[in-house]
Amino acid sequence: MVNDSKSSPGPTHGSHVDIAVDRVAKIYAQAIIEAADAAGCRREVIAELGQLAREVLPKVPQAEAVFGSPKVSAEEKAALIDRIAKGRMLPTTVHALHVLARHGRLGILAPVVHAAERLADDLDGRRQATFTTAVPVDVAEQGRIVADVEKALSATLTPTFVVDPGIIGGLVVRVGDTIYDQSVATSLSRLGGRLHQRNIHAIQNGEYSWHT
Amino acid sequence: MAHLTDEIASVLREEISRYQSGIDVREVGRVLEVGDGIARVWGLSGVMAGEMVEFPGGITGLAFNLEENSVGVIILGDYLKVTEGDEVKSTGRLLSVPVGDAVIGRVLDPLGNPLDGKGPVVTEHRRPVETLAPGIAERQPVREPLQTGIKAVDAMTPIGRGQRELIIGDRKTGKTAIGIDAIINQKNSGVKCFYVAVGQKDSSVAVVIDTLRKHGAMDYTTVIVAGASSAAPLQYIAPYSGTAMAEHFMYNGQHALIVYDDLSKQATAYRQLSLLMRRPPGREAYPGDVFYAHSRLLERSAKLSAEKGGGSLTSLPIIETLEGEVSAYIPTNVISITDGQIYLQPDLFFAGQRPAMNAGISVSRVGGAAQTKAMKKVAGGLRLDLASFRELEAFAQLGTDLDAATQQRLDRGYRMVELLKQGQFAPMDVVDQVLSIYAGTRGHLDEVKRDEVADWEKGFLTFIRDQVPELRSRIETSKELDGESERQLEAAIAEFKRQRAAKSGGEARSMAAAR
Repeated sequence: MVNDSKSSPGPTHGSHVDIAVDRVAKIYAQAIIEAADAAGCRREVIAELGQLAREVLPKVPQAEAVFGSPKVSAEEKAALIDRIAKGRMLPTTVHALHVLARHGRLGILAPVVHAAERLADDLDGRRQATFTTAVPVDVAEQGRIVADVEKALSATLTPTFVVDPGIIGGLVVRVGDTIYDQSVATSLSRLGGRLHQRNIHAIQNGEYSWHT
Repeated sequence: MAHLTDEIASVLREEISRYQSGIDVREVGRVLEVGDGIARVWGLSGVMAGEMVEFPGGITGLAFNLEENSVGVIILGDYLKVTEGDEVKSTGRLLSVPVGDAVIGRVLDPLGNPLDGKGPVVTEHRRPVETLAPGIAERQPVREPLQTGIKAVDAMTPIGRGQRELIIGDRKTGKTAIGIDAIINQKNSGVKCFYVAVGQKDSSVAVVIDTLRKHGAMDYTTVIVAGASSAAPLQYIAPYSGTAMAEHFMYNGQHALIVYDDLSKQATAYRQLSLLMRRPPGREAYPGDVFYAHSRLLERSAKLSAEKGGGSLTSLPIIETLEGEVSAYIPTNVISITDGQIYLQPDLFFAGQRPAMNAGISVSRVGGAAQTKAMKKVAGGLRLDLASFRELEAFAQLGTDLDAATQQRLDRGYRMVELLKQGQFAPMDVVDQVLSIYAGTRGHLDEVKRDEVADWEKGFLTFIRDQVPELRSRIETSKELDGESERQLEAAIAEFKRQRAAKSGGEARSMAAAR
């Protein structure tokens, strides 16, 4: 199955999940979204936090280490946040980072951002979907597929496209925890299973000449 | 060879032409951690409690704990093949096992997979492992006897069809033997038997299966095995699967008997699962719902009403006690659920009284309703008499002088104890039981020496069979011991005593002559 951590972000699709972290992250995400809603800048705050967690921090691993380290005091972290974010980001974003720093939760910034994105999607009625194909599909084709699936499921999707030659052909769509699988690989394995079952019965009933 | 290729090709073509391509919709999760027969799964947000889930490689699991962020799954199979990151599919189905005539005579694991090397179990019928017990309206009182063929049990703690009778005792007191004897005695009675072995040594189970086979009991018996080396989840569900297979016959108007050997090991397996799943431990570290685990299992044994076909499921759960401690958690639970118990005591066992049943605290709450009229008549006060004999016996050991009446009661008691001894795998016909117990309770054995009681009984039963068969068949057909039969029986006993005395007199004379 799909296990492309770059193109399918977040714990739902990755193989490593820490339930405890996820639970805490959801609480902070909820708080950040409510604060951003009050300031009328939900989308912007999430985008800024996402940019920080996914683009800036991976480029400076030391910064990530400092954020996660309990050795660095909350005051020092707060000062660091002020230096990098104040004036460059929205006040709500900066406040959110401060709150995370004060509670020693800057280390789980990425899960918090992911949880916030999911929560925002839920609030907007959007659902994250992963489309897996055996060969790369062009953008026009992608748009058509997404539109078809959105129509079938009557939902708005945030699509991610993944290529996995292992499915041989066809399409596998994952929305939340549900997989809609019309891949050649699955069809073949189902056919194989049926042949297997049928042959057990046939051999028991002595239907085949080669058995006797 | 060409012929073979053609045949295979035609099968393939046919199958492909019939193949209907459809979208495979499934809900999935991912294994976060796995070990000791359980897995914690991320995702599966729509899974229901008790729903069957599927791991890669066809290994099944059962959604056990539904938590805020994860699902606790018990793995019914080789959990060593499940690894972190594996995809888990929900199936939308409950766990079910094959049922029907195809399972009879087989040795199966708790999922219905064969363990006896006799090929797959081919049947269309399946039943969910966990089902609700029949309600009040669907039942009728237990009144039909289920003969175990054991004199002590059939006379003192009779078991009716649809009853739950607990067999309880320390290790090595003959608990399994009672269950096996009861199964062997169902030959020709039409009762389908199920033996569920939970947490036992595979060697012991092999011996049981061999015994059943030798006595021709495998023709109507299914053995469900979750041995000591099976994972805890399998040991936990084994009694439920066995019950599902047995229920099939009950709901089809037939009669079934199920022996759970033993439920204390099932409770231990359930405790292991619950602790691993971090359910809060209660008394003796068992989870709070261990009572419900046993009560919902044993409630499924019932005598169905006539409208439902009148079928029945009788169960003989077995509980092993430690050092005779019947007031431990699991024994008290199961005692309170069942309709009586057969209590086996080590000291009686080692004193040579087998079955080592303690008549005082063994009871059957269904009582005489599950006995034939003849048995009820002869064995009416037997249990209480024996219990009071035990007290008297303890008193007599003090060496006090006893009056004639007490001495007589003691003598009668000793002979009844001798009479109730019975070899293993030697179930006795109910008419023979009636005849023997009649002779004992009416004092016809009082003059017989204690060590000759067994011999007397054997001779007497042979005498009845050979010389007064009409009396035997009269009791057998009427199932009653009316005035006329009783008069004939008294006459037969007198005649037997006369013949026996003459025979032993003749033997004594010939021995004297030889000297």
